[in-house]
Amino acid sequence: MDGISTYFILITLLFSAVKSGTIILLPTIGEIFTERSGVLNLGIEGMMLVGAFFGFVAAYLTNNPYIGFVVGMLSGGLLSIIHAVISITLQGNQIVSGLALTIIGGGITNLYGYHYTDLRLTSTLKNFPIPFLSKIPFLGPIFFNQDIIVYLSYILIVVMWYILYKTKIGIHLRAVGDNAKAANAMGVNVFKTRYFWTFFGGLLAGAGGAYLTIGYAPFWLDGMTFGRGWIAVALVIFSMWNPLYAIIGAYLFGSIDALQFQLQAAGTNIPSSILQMLPYLITFIIITFATIFVRLKHIGVPKELAKPFSREEK
Amino acid sequence: MFIFERRESVPLRLKIMIPIISIIIGLIIGAIAILFLNVDPLQVYKAILIGSFGSRYAFTETLVFATPLILLTSGLILVYRMGFWNIGAYGQYIMGAVFSSYFAIFGSPDLPKFSMLFIMICAALLGGAFWAFIPAFLKALWDVNEVITTLLLNYIALSILRYFMYGPWRDPTGLGFPLSKQFPLNAQLPRIIPNSRVNLGLIFGIIAAVIIWFIINKTKFGYELRVIGGNPRAARYAGINVASKIIIAMLISGALAGLAGMVQVSGVLRVLQIEISPEYGYTALITSWLSYLNPLIGIFVSILFGAFTAGGYLIQITMNVPYGIIPLIESVILFMLIGGEIFKNYKISYLKRSF
Amino acid sequence: MKNIILSAKDITKHFPGILANDHINFDLYEGEIHSILGENGAGKTTFMNILDGLYIPDEGEIYIKGKKAKILSPIDAMNYGIGMIHQHFMLVDTLTVLENVILGLKDQGIFINESNISKKINEISEKYNFKINPKAKIWQLSLGEQQRVEIIKMLIRGANILILDEPTAVLTPQETDMLFDILQQLKSEGKSAIFISHKLEEVMDISDRITILRKGKVVGTVNKKDITITDLATMMVGREVFFSFEKKPLDTNEILLKIENLEGYNDRGVKTLKGLNLTIYRGEIFGIAGIGGNGQEELVEIITGLRKATKGKIFLKDIDITNSSPSTILKKGVSYIPSDRLKDGLIPNLTPLENSILKCYYKPPIYNRGIINYINAKKYTENLINEYNVMVPLMNAPVRLLSGGNLQKLLLAREISENPILLIAVHPTRGLDINATEFIRKKLLEVRNSGTTVLLISEDLDELLMISDRIGVIFNGKIVGIVNPNEVDIKDIGLMMGGSRYINNKEGEF
Repeated sequence: MDGISTYFILITLLFSAVKSGTIILLPTIGEIFTERSGVLNLGIEGMMLVGAFFGFVAAYLTNNPYIGFVVGMLSGGLLSIIHAVISITLQGNQIVSGLALTIIGGGITNLYGYHYTDLRLTSTLKNFPIPFLSKIPFLGPIFFNQDIIVYLSYILIVVMWYILYKTKIGIHLRAVGDNAKAANAMGVNVFKTRYFWTFFGGLLAGAGGAYLTIGYAPFWLDGMTFGRGWIAVALVIFSMWNPLYAIIGAYLFGSIDALQFQLQAAGTNIPSSILQMLPYLITFIIITFATIFVRLKHIGVPKELAKPFSREEK
Repeated sequence: MFIFERRESVPLRLKIMIPIISIIIGLIIGAIAILFLNVDPLQVYKAILIGSFGSRYAFTETLVFATPLILLTSGLILVYRMGFWNIGAYGQYIMGAVFSSYFAIFGSPDLPKFSMLFIMICAALLGGAFWAFIPAFLKALWDVNEVITTLLLNYIALSILRYFMYGPWRDPTGLGFPLSKQFPLNAQLPRIIPNSRVNLGLIFGIIAAVIIWFIINKTKFGYELRVIGGNPRAARYAGINVASKIIIAMLISGALAGLAGMVQVSGVLRVLQIEISPEYGYTALITSWLSYLNPLIGIFVSILFGAFTAGGYLIQITMNVPYGIIPLIESVILFMLIGGEIFKNYKISYLKRSF
Repeated sequence: MKNIILSAKDITKHFPGILANDHINFDLYEGEIHSILGENGAGKTTFMNILDGLYIPDEGEIYIKGKKAKILSPIDAMNYGIGMIHQHFMLVDTLTVLENVILGLKDQGIFINESNISKKINEISEKYNFKINPKAKIWQLSLGEQQRVEIIKMLIRGANILILDEPTAVLTPQETDMLFDILQQLKSEGKSAIFISHKLEEVMDISDRITILRKGKVVGTVNKKDITITDLATMMVGREVFFSFEKKPLDTNEILLKIENLEGYNDRGVKTLKGLNLTIYRGEIFGIAGIGGNGQEELVEIITGLRKATKGKIFLKDIDITNSSPSTILKKGVSYIPSDRLKDGLIPNLTPLENSILKCYYKPPIYNRGIINYINAKKYTENLINEYNVMVPLMNAPVRLLSGGNLQKLLLAREISENPILLIAVHPTRGLDINATEFIRKKLLEVRNSGTTVLLISEDLDELLMISDRIGVIFNGKIVGIVNPNEVDIKDIGLMMGGSRYINNKEGEF
């Protein structure tokens, strides 16, 4: 009897892990591509917040979670444009700009969020099983009985991986991020490329936030992303700027998140605050080792990261 | 087409105009944001003014909110001058509050006030410095990105605070709220202006700002910091030990942040709780930049932002405008400031093709 | 009769303080290999960048096949059939050959038609015997192979005018032969090439015609058949000597710096020092002549401790300083004036005062118990500024706003005032006006007369001839000859710089 209940607990846990992981997977992928173009956007937390909030509001007002999700995405994208203009055209300090983006995201959502705090969405994302796949033992109920966004995220990873490594767009992107001068000499518009992928990152950050309030929660609380945006920044390094590896970090984080949730619900002796600390602590440790590893192996970091490009003569 | 063309020199008027224009644009955008709440922005701004400078008490409240900012800003300016991105001031602030509160909560209430406060201050400096040491060490040794490490430590510090507040440090007589017991008299930082909450921390802040100014501008250490911040290659070439400078500067920065935490819990709140003004950590970043990394200017900018904060809390109560408007305006100002930087070195000119 | 495929008239280009191209006239026939010869700073790269659309000239026009051409970007150049292979390749290391070829290609949709492009690459590869694997990543290829990728890129885009900027700088002799075969093959198909170089023998080998540039102007355009290598050398280095200086005779034969068999690599992993030997005597100005890229930058960085030597030894007054740290070497009395003033020597955002004390801020009278005495520092700086005639409009303004000449004087002042035993100056008068130039040369002689040894790296041969006691010519990572400036023939130096003459290298022989 015990074995079976453990089995079910595990499945429930991992099922939530996928959902929680998706919240962070989307922004991570977005930022991977932003950084691949040479732009560092530390404002993920802010973009996630606006995505979460405005997505929630739209879903609530229209009673349609899908519209909400799209609105959330666009909010993140819009916010990223501020950072894009400052970083790319005005060649401003990208670190400070990203931080300001986080602050403004928090400010905006706090300002308007008051009225939406105790509300719940009546119409949320539904899970539906995929025929055949959902019957696979163990993996089926975890991965293939999810909602549409999760399924789209699976497709997204594969598609983005393909675009990055197998298409001309990907070549241009990687060139701009690794040697903007060469890309420019070959006729690639460095500015347009960076604007595009920064916006893309914003859309996905907004999507992650929207999924939090629409697919996971489903309610709104001030500041509810609670640092996930920063974990995403760390996961980008951890995944070595490769969208396929992003899954590992994201679902790992999702598992810890789901675990601490379960433990709290089960009334364990471990204080919830210590559990809450785990994701950040583990990310901290991971990032330290990843840095040492990356440095030793000279891999991955886009060489143009956070370096403004100008066509200035001599 | 329009291109950026290098200037030969930086016109002084730009140096003054850019911050002023940034503030003006911030206020304009803030006004637009307030309009969406169906509230009159002018009323809001008037209320902010009243709440910050409109009465004797309001002005003292401005000083109260400015006090931790002055300490935090001074500490941040020191490391920013070196080019080290300490975003963890909030975490260092919390650890300072936690370390010092330990003595307030568990120490003897009969200890002489001077001794108790002295111990608490030392504890706060230690706590903040310790929290800053970790990312500094990792950066100095392995070049681990300090933005992420300092930031993650913020969340970890918050979790530690929560642990204590929901757990062993919770006031047993406090009806279950996550608060510590009220600090005994000997653990309360004295108030220096009667009928206000302005406390000794303000003096600490001003002294700290002056000391930091002195360090940066007059000492060998400060000179070396500025060289590192200006050209790390030249610094290494001149034989400066960059790693040790990073660590020392961060210890000081963290200590000041920790002191700010102690000032807040001992001077203002007189209790340890979870909400010990989280906005300070990130606001201090903005004030540092707005001060052009000069700690003396930082005093005035901190007072300005203390005014914003005081006003912000007031409008939250009286006009139902949530506090978020303040960071919104502050971040717009910051955007304008960073974006405007380029105009100091370049001007826009129209290039006519000669073909 | 051959057709003119490209013609440039009156091309003029200014940069702040320099006239890089001065009414250059140039034309290129179909099926011709036309070399452009000149020293560093002669204006070759500027001119090429104009042809390739990276720079826009202030005056002048370009005609392609007789029609006026508007070249505002590399893409425009490509549309006119001009393909440039830069000295620093425009390749993305982390991508494959195929991906680099596709980069920027117009007629490709979103999806890569891998097999199609691959086929084209292989076709070209076979035709010219390139031996390039399209799937290889650039960082895995040798520099010679990378260069061939660049050529493939140009040919696929239909280039029929190839511009090669110092292409043999990174090649082995065998790879150079390969390159020349390829160029001949292209020539036989009616394509043209502009070959930029400073290496006299190669230029004589490959060219049909040669245009010589000096100080931004065209000195002449000649047919290879009508000229000798010696003539080229003379045209390249010129003969004007502007100033003359008083030189105290050298009065000691004590050895200050001894370099044995030094080997080292540059940042791109190319071995640029190949067993360099050198002895410098105390109190002399030893000039090193040579075209940039022959190892002088690496030599200096190794001496000052900023770069590691992979083999060999350096002795400063009998003390082995090979691979010591920069601060150790500096403290032994070595001062260094780098060629990139703002990147290496100065801190752009700090004031002149703060920059001037960088070498002595930790010593009295400027340093005292933790504090920097800015009053003394100010006096110190003012002395320096006055003595060296540095124009500082605003004492509190960041140094990056100072002119090149004044920056250099400030740097010189700082380094000399430490009374070093060895002063290393790299291109000290590059980009400076006449007054600043003369001042610096005078100063170098002054310190020499007071006992400091100077190692002077310069691309300005006039300068070296004017003030050096001895001149060593560096070529391909070795000293190929040491000469007495009073007795040497300019031609010989030119020949040595171009790699085609080696003087019997006996140490200490005048």
